[in-house]
Amino acid sequence: MNRKDIKGRFHRTLPKQPSLLNSRTMWGLLFVAAVIWSLHESGLFERDLVNVGGWTLVMRFLIAATRPELDVEFLQLTLEATLQTLAYGVCGTAFSLIFGLVGGILSSEVWWQSISLVKFPTPWLVVRFFLAIPRAIHELIWGLFFINIFGLDPLVAVLAIAIPFGAITAKVFSEILDETPRQPLMALLNSGVSPLNAFVYSLIPQSFPNLLSYAFYRFECSIRSAAVLGIIGAGGLGYQILLSLQSLRYEEMWTFLIALVLLSGSTDFWSAMLRRSIGAPSRLDLNLHLSKPKSTLQNTQTLAIHLLQGDRLVKVSLFAAIGLLIFSFWYVNADFTKLSSPQTFDLLIGVIQDSFPPDITKFYQLFTLSAQTLAMSILAIAIAGIGGILLSFPAANNLLLPEDNSHSLWGITVLVFTRFLLLFTRAIPAPIWALIFLFVLFPGILPGAIALAIHNLGILGRLMAEVIENLDQRPLRSLQALGATNSQIFLYGILPRTLSRFVAYILYRWEVCIRATVIVGLVGAGGLGRLLTEQLSSFDYKGLVSTLICFICLTFLVDLISATVRRSLR
Amino acid sequence: MNLGTPIFELKNVTKQFGSFQSLANINLQIWAGDRVALVGSSGAGKSTMINLLNGTLLPTQGEVWVLGHNLSRLPRKSLRQIQRQIGTIYQQFHLVDNLRVIHNVNAGHLGRWSFFKAAISLISPMEVGTAAIALNQVGIAEKLYERTDRLSGGQQQRVAIARVLVQNPSAILADEPISSLDPERSREIIQMLRQLSQDSGKTLVTSLHAFEYARNYYERIIGLRQGRILFDASPLAVSPSMVEELYRTEE
Ligand SMILES: Nc1ncnc2c1ncn2[C@@H]1O[C@H](COP(=O)(O)OP(=O)(O)OP(=O)(O)O)[C@@H](O)[C@H]1O
Ligand SMILES: [Mg+2]
Repeated sequence: MNRKDIKGRFHRTLPKQPSLLNSRTMWGLLFVAAVIWSLHESGLFERDLVNVGGWTLVMRFLIAATRPELDVEFLQLTLEATLQTLAYGVCGTAFSLIFGLVGGILSSEVWWQSISLVKFPTPWLVVRFFLAIPRAIHELIWGLFFINIFGLDPLVAVLAIAIPFGAITAKVFSEILDETPRQPLMALLNSGVSPLNAFVYSLIPQSFPNLLSYAFYRFECSIRSAAVLGIIGAGGLGYQILLSLQSLRYEEMWTFLIALVLLSGSTDFWSAMLRRSIGAPSRLDLNLHLSKPKSTLQNTQTLAIHLLQGDRLVKVSLFAAIGLLIFSFWYVNADFTKLSSPQTFDLLIGVIQDSFPPDITKFYQLFTLSAQTLAMSILAIAIAGIGGILLSFPAANNLLLPEDNSHSLWGITVLVFTRFLLLFTRAIPAPIWALIFLFVLFPGILPGAIALAIHNLGILGRLMAEVIENLDQRPLRSLQALGATNSQIFLYGILPRTLSRFVAYILYRWEVCIRATVIVGLVGAGGLGRLLTEQLSSFDYKGLVSTLICFICLTFLVDLISATVRRSLR
Repeated sequence: MNLGTPIFELKNVTKQFGSFQSLANINLQIWAGDRVALVGSSGAGKSTMINLLNGTLLPTQGEVWVLGHNLSRLPRKSLRQIQRQIGTIYQQFHLVDNLRVIHNVNAGHLGRWSFFKAAISLISPMEVGTAAIALNQVGIAEKLYERTDRLSGGQQQRVAIARVLVQNPSAILADEPISSLDPERSREIIQMLRQLSQDSGKTLVTSLHAFEYARNYYERIIGLRQGRILFDASPLAVSPSMVEELYRTEE
């Protein structure tokens, strides 16, 4: 039946169909174009990318998975490496939290307003700007830099985590503080309490659940970073994995990989339990301001109740955290006096003198490498995003298992398998994935993109599954009741209600991906990351500064695009 | 369809949630073209019954037969084929609220559409004519492209009815379709459902809180109390004392 007939029947005008060209479809088309461009950049259409000779290695690698090295002495080595990675993670988190709290207060609007009580031009923006730079530089670059100064010392790993993570934490903490209701603070200030005391008695306890939730999220990230930092020689699991990979001892490598999955899985699990028990919001929602600020007060109350009533989990967690902290500092045994030694100071001055003026002769090379880096991040996030969406569906624990069927073996198998797949992919750091893919792919941006994609797919898939689990089930049941298939229910019942949040997560991970191109660059994938690591190891500080500036601009560009898209889709 | 077999039949059906019995030993037959009201107080088992009839729940004991098939015995695929023949309208919150009205109405086609057709229609709506006619029939043709969450509760119920029209099932189930609407809107919706069933000869089963509507608009009333059938009779045969017994609270 055509439109005219229908109009005739209705005796009134049929509403006009809204145009397909809205901001959503425009961004969608741009995304498709960007992916095509990135594929072109990766050389997929021109070059031979697969190294056929590598398949035998892959087979050996996969077969080794069935018999990881389980010798007692070797297990002891694995345990030591695991503890070392854990200890780096804990110490790094501890410093980044201290740094983050101080920096967070100093870069919050509310602090400056409460010490002056007059609106004078925005000093917090200045602090925020200075924090943006350490944040834009990846842990690994910090690590390589500190190796040049301290040599191979545990201090390197701890500082490399503490500085960028401290800056990120400061940013998020300042946003949490600024979004917390201010009436209690104002009441204290107006009665003559000093700003610092007023903060300690109002804003800080009020926002404590959110701060705690984010702190634990940072802890999870620190563990992963600690493993990555091993690769540059800082020791721990990452270092051992690299060694066994290079000497082709895959059985040993699998033992280390399993240890890493267990370590990372148990931190995730602990953190998730704790968050649930204090009713704190999801970590990414804190980042993306997706949680409702009004929940803060209520959260504080529930947390207070938990603490008062002696909720076992919260109590045990606090004691465990303190114990872990003491153990870690003892185990790491870093020489903190180096921080204030005159020799360090001289070296730093030397580096700064060596860095200026920056080398700008390689401008053209930098431009092509920037394009490659961007393409790598776009490919990575496209694969991770689409894969994450597809896997989140079977990984959600409540989905479409009709009540009577909920214990069906098939449903449970699918659930457990996808959950494990997601855990495995996210627990293995991207550079390790890159090294594995370099068996069969020639170096270039493709192996780097795939490695980043797989790691991020694990992270995104799990987060998206959580979103699906929190969906109202009633519309889904009603679609099911009219005979829709599972895939149709996904299209009509799940995607429309989750897509905007999924896109927000994907964009946020894109911002992380562009920074992480450095770490896959280190192991031979292309882009600016590779150049950076080369310049660092050859002490070419003049070149390094210009590459860094270029890299930082690129990350700011990605942040800007991501924020724009998020705003226009809200 | 053979006139000799009922469209819905419950044989000795018990539904248990954990140790709690929501329906106990129900025997019931509903024939093609029947207009049945399910009444009873909160927790009596009305929604459970509706969900058994459309295959969302399966009985703990006994058998649910729909259109000549025992639902417990059917594989998923054949179950879906039966479910296509049954349209359900719920109290509230059963539409996908951030889709446009047209897509919620088109969801009625899903039992027949392939995955690809369903996907393409989300981008560029298909069978707009059918949807427009259905919406016109429920009186909100102008809302075709509106986002569903911008509609009032009564309008959303109309969208749900339009979806059932598009689905074109042999039987319509409605689970408290009016309990969140004002009296005027309630009357309109109930009348609309009744008209629909009358015009097309579709079976109609509606669960209701308000006994008055059941009495005025239905030919058969089934009273449920604590998971059991208290009476099953025509409105004329239901006496005030039976109604009192139905809603009596336990002392
Ligand atoms: N999924 C479920 N799990 C556990 N108990 C349930 C479930 N669904 C229903 N029940 C229980 O079964 C009983 C009957 O519920 P049902 O929803 O069928 O009642 P109802 O007559 O529709 O009530 P209302 O008028 O309040 O909607 C209730 O006591 C309810 O708590
Ligand atoms: Mg009910």
